[in-house]
Amino acid sequence: MVDGKGARVDAGGSPVGAVAWGLHARVRVPLDAIDLDVDWRPGSDHVAILGPSGSGKSTLLRALAGLEPRAEGRVSLGDETWLDSDSGVNMPTWERRVGWVPQDTLLFPHLSLRENLAYAGSGPAEVEKMAESLFLSDLLDRRPRFLSGGERQRVALGRALLSAPRVLLLDEPFSALDRPLRSEVAAMVRAFARDNGTPIVLVSHDEHDAELLADERWMLVAGNLTADGA
Amino acid sequence: MYTPPPTSLPLFGPLPNLGHCQGPNTLLARAGRTGLARDLRVGCRLPLHLSKEWLIWVAAVQLFMGQPASADGISTTSAQETPEALVVLAAASLQDVLPVVARAWREVTGVPIRFSFAATSVLAPQIFRGAPADVFISADEVWMQWLEERGGVDGLSVRPVATNQLVFVVPTGTADPPGDSRSLAGADLAQIALAAEDTPAGRYARAALERVGAWTAVEPRVIRGGSVRGTLEWVARGESDGGIVYRTDALAEERVTVAFAFGDDDDPIPTYPGAVTARTEQPEAAGAFLDFVSGAEAMALFAASGFGPAGDGTGVAQVPSLASPALDPWSAVRLSLIVAFSAVLLGLVPAVAVGWLLARRDFPGKSFVSMLVMAPLVVPPVVTGFLLLTVLGRESALGGLLAAMGFPIPFTLLGATLAALVVGFPLYVMAIRAVFDTVDRRFEEVSWTLGVPKLPTFRRIALPLALPGIAAGAVLAFARSLGEFGATVVLAGNMEGQTRTIALAVYSLLESPSGQGATWTLVIASVMLSLVALLGFERLTRWQRRRIEDHHGGR
Repeated sequence: MVDGKGARVDAGGSPVGAVAWGLHARVRVPLDAIDLDVDWRPGSDHVAILGPSGSGKSTLLRALAGLEPRAEGRVSLGDETWLDSDSGVNMPTWERRVGWVPQDTLLFPHLSLRENLAYAGSGPAEVEKMAESLFLSDLLDRRPRFLSGGERQRVALGRALLSAPRVLLLDEPFSALDRPLRSEVAAMVRAFARDNGTPIVLVSHDEHDAELLADERWMLVAGNLTADGA
Repeated sequence: MYTPPPTSLPLFGPLPNLGHCQGPNTLLARAGRTGLARDLRVGCRLPLHLSKEWLIWVAAVQLFMGQPASADGISTTSAQETPEALVVLAAASLQDVLPVVARAWREVTGVPIRFSFAATSVLAPQIFRGAPADVFISADEVWMQWLEERGGVDGLSVRPVATNQLVFVVPTGTADPPGDSRSLAGADLAQIALAAEDTPAGRYARAALERVGAWTAVEPRVIRGGSVRGTLEWVARGESDGGIVYRTDALAEERVTVAFAFGDDDDPIPTYPGAVTARTEQPEAAGAFLDFVSGAEAMALFAASGFGPAGDGTGVAQVPSLASPALDPWSAVRLSLIVAFSAVLLGLVPAVAVGWLLARRDFPGKSFVSMLVMAPLVVPPVVTGFLLLTVLGRESALGGLLAAMGFPIPFTLLGATLAALVVGFPLYVMAIRAVFDTVDRRFEEVSWTLGVPKLPTFRRIALPLALPGIAAGAVLAFARSLGEFGATVVLAGNMEGQTRTIALAVYSLLESPSGQGATWTLVIASVMLSLVALLGFERLTRWQRRRIEDHHGGR
C-alpha cells in the first residue's frame, strides 16, 4: 500500500464510501530551498499529509492543482491524466476542478461573501444552504475584510465545495477555528465528501485535524513523502 | 496700442519648451555658413533641446540673481580682460551671424561681447524686468516699440541693424513651383506652411499675402507651425507643399528650394532693429557697438549670411502690427480636454495590455519593450514629435497608408491626440504595471481552481482589483496630455480650433506683445485642471492602497 509504484486495482481500505480514487502523483518540483520529490499513490480516499513548515506541503497541493509551472512528472486521477511531462500533457487548472482551500483563504476582496460563494456559478439557494451549514448566514452581504479569520476559512471552504470539486485540496483549513466548531465543520466536510464521492487531501501540521478528516497519514519531510504508521 | 501692461506677464523667463530659438530646430543639421561662424557657435550647437532649454533656464536664474544674462555656453569670449564685456541680447535667428560680427568688432576695439540668444518675445520682457543687458537686437519692430514705450531702451538709439527677406520655399525637386506671390492663390498646393501668426515671420507672411490679395485664397490651406525653423522643416520633409520662411533660413537648408522672394517695393521688409538698453552702465560702448553692427563692415558680414542691408535709416518699413488674432481661450481649453480624453480612451486597452505584460510575463526582449514604452518620459517631447512625424508623416509608408484610409496624422486633431498619447503613455503604463505587481496573483489562481479559465478570470478578478491603479494611470496620462506641448507642435502644428491646446495657446499668446491678457485665463484654467487631475490621482492611489491593506490586513 505504501509502495506508490504498485499496481492497484481498487481503492480499497476506505471506510467512507467506495470511491475509485486512484490519485497518482509522481512529481518533482525544484524549489529554492528543497526539491519536492513525491512518488505517491494513496491507499485511502482521505489522506492527511503532515510535516513541518517548509517541507513542501503547500507546494504539493499546488502541483496537484496545476499551479506549479515547474512541476514535472505524472499526475493522474482515475484514468484521467492531469500532468505527463513526457508526453507534454498538462491539463489547465480550470479543467482539473480541484477544490483548493489555500492556507490564507484568498477570498476575493472586491466581492461580498455571497458573491465569493457563488463565484463558480452556484444559484442563490445553494449559496444560502452552504452558508447555513457553515454558520455564515448572517454575514452574506459583508465584504471579506469585515470577517474574522475563522469566518474567512469557512467561506473559503464553502466556496471550494460549491465548485463541484473532484478532489478537495485543503491547506490548514481549520487553523483559525476553535475546537467544537472545528469538529462540526470537519463532519460537514466529510459528509460532503461521502455524498459526492470526493476524495480529500489535507495538508496540516495538526494531528487533530488529520484525525478528524483523514484515514491515512503521510509525512512530508524535506520534500520527501513517507508513510506515517499512525 | 499695446494694451495690457507687462506686469501681467505670468512667467519670468520661458516656459519649458518655450525656448523658441530651439524647439524642433536644433535637430536640423545645419551647415555652418562660414568656418568662422562654426568656431564661435559653441553653445548654440548643443544638439538636444534639453541642453538648450537648460541654458535658457540658467540664463533665467542668473537674471533673478542679478547676474549677467548670458549663459556660459553661449558667450563667445570670457571676460577676463580689462575692457568690460558688453552683454547683447539678440533674436535667435541672428545666432549664426552676430558672433562673427562680434569677433570683427573685438579685433577693432578689444571689447568682448557676451550674447544671449532667444526668441524676441522672450528677450523683450526680460529686458523690461531688468536683465542687465547693454544692447538688444530684436527680430521685430513691434517688440522693440513695446519696449521703447515702457522705457526699456533708449528710444534715440533705436535703428535698423539688418533686414531679412521672406521667401516662398518648396521641397527640392518640386516640378513647376509657383513663380510669384500672386500665383499662390491659384497654385496647386495642398498645404502651405506658415510660422505661428504671432511670430514676426508669421505676421510678415500674412501681410505679404494680403497685399497681393492672395490671403483669402491661401488661408484655408495654411498650416501653422511654431517657429520659422519648424515651418521650414515641414517643407523640407515634404509634409507641406510649400512655406514662407526667412531667406537666411532657407539658404541653410538643402532640402528646400526658393521658388520666389517677396520683394515688391510695397512688401514689408522684415527688419532687425537694435537699441541700447535704458539700464546699461556703458552707454558709449553700447552705442559704439550698435554703430559697428549697422556699419559697412558688419553689413558685409550680414550679407555673407544672406541678410539684407539695414536701409538708409531714414524710416523703417512699418511692420504690419496685426492685432493678435482673436484667440478664444475657451476653444483651447475645450480642445485640450478633447485631446486629453481621447488620448486616455485610445490608450486604455494598449496601456492595460502592456502594463499587465510587463508586470506578469517574462519574455525575450522584455527590457527592450519596457525601455521603448518609457522612452517618451525622458526623451525631449520635441524629439518624440520629430520621430512621430518621421514615422507617421505623409511621406512615410505608414503615414501614407493612414492618410489613404482617411486618417491623416500631421496637422490634425488625431495627430495632437496621438502626440499626447505617446507622451502620456509611459505614465499610464507605469501606474498599471505597478498595480498588477501588487495585486496578489493567487487570487487568479483560486479562480482557476474554481473552474474559471484565464480570460474570464482576468475580467472578473484581476481587472476589478487593478481598477484603481488603471484609473490612476488614466488620470496621470490625462494630466500629462494637458501639459503636452513639444511633440504636439511638431507633429500637429499650432492651429486654432484644431490642434491649439492650452499649452500651445499660451505659447502663442506669449509670442505676441498684445496677448498677455488672455494668457491668464489659460494659465488659471491649465493650473486648475492639472491640480484637479492630480487630486484625482491622489484619491485613486489611496483607494488602491486601502484595497491592498484589506487583503493583507486580515487573516
